[in-house]
Amino acid sequence: MVNTKRWVFMQALLLTIVIFIMGMYAGVIFEEKKFAEANAYFTASEVSLMDVLALNELMSSKSVTCTDFTQANFNLLERVYEEAVKLEEYESSGKITESIKSEHKKYDMMRTYLWINFIKLKERCPTQYHTLVYLYIYNQDDLVKKAQQNVWSRILFEVKQDKGNKLALIPIAADNNLSSLKLLTIDKNITKYPVVIIDEKYVFSELTSAADLEKYLQ
Amino acid sequence: MEFLTKVYLVYSFVSLYFLFLFILIYLENRKKLLWYPISKKKYGVSIVVPCYNEEESIGKTIQNLVDNGYPYLKKIIVVDDRSKDNSYKIMKQYEKKYPGLVLAVQTPKNTGNAAGAKNYGAKFAKTELIGFTDADGFPEKGSIGKMVGFFDDLEVGAVTSTILVYNRKNFLERLQAIEYIVIKFTRKLLEFVDSIYVTPGPLAVYRREYFEKIGKFDEKNLTEDIEITWNLLAHGYKIKMCVPAKVYSIAPSKIKVWFKQRLRWNMGGVQTIFKYKKYFFKNGMLGTFVLPFFVFSWLLGVFGISIISYRLIRTLILKIFAVSYSAQTNAALLTLKDINLTPNVLVFLGITVFLLSFTFTLIAFFDIKEDRKFRRPGFGAMTVYMFFYLTVYPIILITAVYKLIRGHKKW
Repeated sequence: MVNTKRWVFMQALLLTIVIFIMGMYAGVIFEEKKFAEANAYFTASEVSLMDVLALNELMSSKSVTCTDFTQANFNLLERVYEEAVKLEEYESSGKITESIKSEHKKYDMMRTYLWINFIKLKERCPTQYHTLVYLYIYNQDDLVKKAQQNVWSRILFEVKQDKGNKLALIPIAADNNLSSLKLLTIDKNITKYPVVIIDEKYVFSELTSAADLEKYLQ
Repeated sequence: MEFLTKVYLVYSFVSLYFLFLFILIYLENRKKLLWYPISKKKYGVSIVVPCYNEEESIGKTIQNLVDNGYPYLKKIIVVDDRSKDNSYKIMKQYEKKYPGLVLAVQTPKNTGNAAGAKNYGAKFAKTELIGFTDADGFPEKGSIGKMVGFFDDLEVGAVTSTILVYNRKNFLERLQAIEYIVIKFTRKLLEFVDSIYVTPGPLAVYRREYFEKIGKFDEKNLTEDIEITWNLLAHGYKIKMCVPAKVYSIAPSKIKVWFKQRLRWNMGGVQTIFKYKKYFFKNGMLGTFVLPFFVFSWLLGVFGISIISYRLIRTLILKIFAVSYSAQTNAALLTLKDINLTPNVLVFLGITVFLLSFTFTLIAFFDIKEDRKFRRPGFGAMTVYMFFYLTVYPIILITAVYKLIRGHKKW
């Protein structure tokens, strides 16, 4: 009798362990699938980046126009932006493994590179577009700053909708320890985040309305 | 992995364990739930009814006991704990009406708790078995007779019954009706692993010899019915539950009274845990299951509500700031990006735990057969019970611990 009673406790424990392990396993598979999807996106973007780099090398060639260069960079930027939005959704579902979060850093690296590319492009070609770089903190614990970041995203989304292809919107997480980005921010004397930089000239560390920002994008 | 994710996983594991345990016990014993032994002996029974300001119900309680139909019910000892209303007068009328069967006595002074009045009344009992009924509890006809058979096993120290809500007019009463049904079901399942942890006041019968041997009810404890059960378990006695023996009890109709009652239950529970803490992981089922089960379920509740509150408060603060900043900058208050419907493994685990507990509640709910005059709580009450009512438990527990720390120990 006592053994039968003990057995039910053991049975419950075994059942819980089995169900729990199955649940965790399914969770890991689910997250890995998302990671694989994100990785596939990244690989495709990486190919496009290489293409843009190759295009840069052709800059001296007169057969390639500034419009072609700008368009190629814009196309890649648009693609990276859309993929980043998807990645953000996937990240919120990544609870067990950290793999999806590591993808974020790769994208930040790519966007930093694109920013540098746009700076170079501006030096070589007449200005046909504006750059708007949004530097934020990825692991933001401060609720006030987090709320500010949320609102910044909404404002910038609105600005991008208005300006379309005339604006290169480049959001980058500043706490990803990228040395190239560090150098760029030191150069611009940026110490506080979130911050918005328009055309490497105008720095906005306080929340600013879309209308006010657009004044600098005429 | 984040700290909160780890906490959530542990929480889900423990919740799943308890749910599976109850479901397995149910599956193994579902045919024995209504079983009760027919007594081989003619046990003499005395029933003690403690009473304080219960003029509205005491007459009905006495009458129900008189009409209970158990032929060896020797005495109904009604103890007035110095009521300020007409309770004692009513008792005396019944004593006159049923001479020799009903005995109305009065404590020398107000004892301040049910345990005091119960112990006082127990002095007048001379029978082998002694039962207790609350002054607002109405045992169903035949209930006592169904309970006594369990005492043929000399190891049995107490037998408890099915307690149900008598009044089901308002919503709070109907919520309690569901709660009592679930508690009844869970308690019976616990009997199969010798782990009944309470013999509630509305109707419980004890073997008088053991009752006196363990020192009767603890008058310092706010839930003497929990304490005496643990005391019996600590002494190695068995506790049984007779499901077909039903007793209907008047549940609080107002939130304030309900909260006060639950606060007392929780404070008494905490007092009992501290009194028996030395038995942790020792001394049979009391130490190896009842104590850890009690502590774990409370910890789970408190922990769960703390995490939910923490996350809710953070989200709320974030939203308030975001709305305020959006208004300052004429930005959109809500965008499609804010609505994220991508599921994660924690959501799946949460849904599994919820579905299992919902299934368990439904099994408990449909397991009981009641007289048609008692209104069955509907879908609305069931939904509120599952989503909101249960979430209040940890808040009551936290308040109870706070009150105990502050030294409030009044009944």
